Amino acid sequence: MSILTEAAKAYIGTETEIEIACDVVERGAVRRYAQAIMDDDPAYHGEGPGAERYGGAVAPLIFPTHMFRRPFGAPDPLQEKASDTDFDGSGISTTQGLPEIESLKHLAILNGGSSIEFRRYARHGETVKLKSRYADIVEKETSKGPIALVYIDSDYLGSDDELLCRVRRTYIRR
Amino acid sequence: MICYEDVEIGYELPRLAKGPLTNMHLMRWSAAMENWHRIHYDEKFATQHDKLPALLVSGSQKQQFIAQLLKDWVAPHGWVWKVDFQFRSMNYVGETLSSWARVTAKRETPGFGLVDLDVGILNQDGKESTPGKATVALPYRGKSPVPYPFVPPASA
Repeated sequence: MSILTEAAKAYIGTETEIEIACDVVERGAVRRYAQAIMDDDPAYHGEGPGAERYGGAVAPLIFPTHMFRRPFGAPDPLQEKASDTDFDGSGISTTQGLPEIESLKHLAILNGGSSIEFRRYARHGETVKLKSRYADIVEKETSKGPIALVYIDSDYLGSDDELLCRVRRTYIRR
Repeated sequence: MICYEDVEIGYELPRLAKGPLTNMHLMRWSAAMENWHRIHYDEKFATQHDKLPALLVSGSQKQQFIAQLLKDWVAPHGWVWKVDFQFRSMNYVGETLSSWARVTAKRETPGFGLVDLDVGILNQDGKESTPGKATVALPYRGKSPVPYPFVPPASA
């Protein structure tokens, strides 16, 4: 039995408006991030041949994809669910700002992987923007039954609207 | 500085090891990216509620290690163009993760060369969890660095 309806396929091509990250690329956030991935590249604090080539201090390559946080004034899911012992704490949307696909909402979701194209580093002090779209939604038959593969493309742009990186995320719904 | 001419198909980069990854490493990454998913730092929730064998290393953290391996190899005159990751199996607290990359193909384009690689992450028992593919751009010997910001070649 198919799990992918025509209504689900109609989401293909749906795009978000441009979203602006709530904070610019902050030196302290870059430091904590670089220390957490244990990558002490001098370019992250504006030194060495890398910083010279990239025009100053930069953030790690994948950093822009983690800049879309809960802004000031937004509801706090951790506090709202503080007494819910089943709350797993994730609270992270897997739709990159896109509307949920109604007919797939009841299915479990797995992260199938991602593909990233890099164009340049984000510089300290820079504003980062995000635009996403449903690139494709297909059904695949597996030994455990049908699954839906949902592909979301996201462009991360710098202050000048120049592309920093392009990410294709694959989500498995089953 | 590594140049396109220096690279041979089959060459494997020196591996980049991280770990053993303790709960402090996992918590530090969760805090840095504001990921409060409890399976990465709340052992009781991970093992009793979600029935996992131990705290789970985040896939987003593993991506960083492969990106770092490639970036350190080509910087500053080359560029990491594309990386694909598949999360095929889980890694847990206490594991040591070694990122690896092996050259599978190379081709010339105007201005710079492209090198394709298989990539992945092995734990201390040699089990693969994050297979993928990557393409990096390298300068030709004696020529200009790869353009920055990177502009992909028209036919690649």
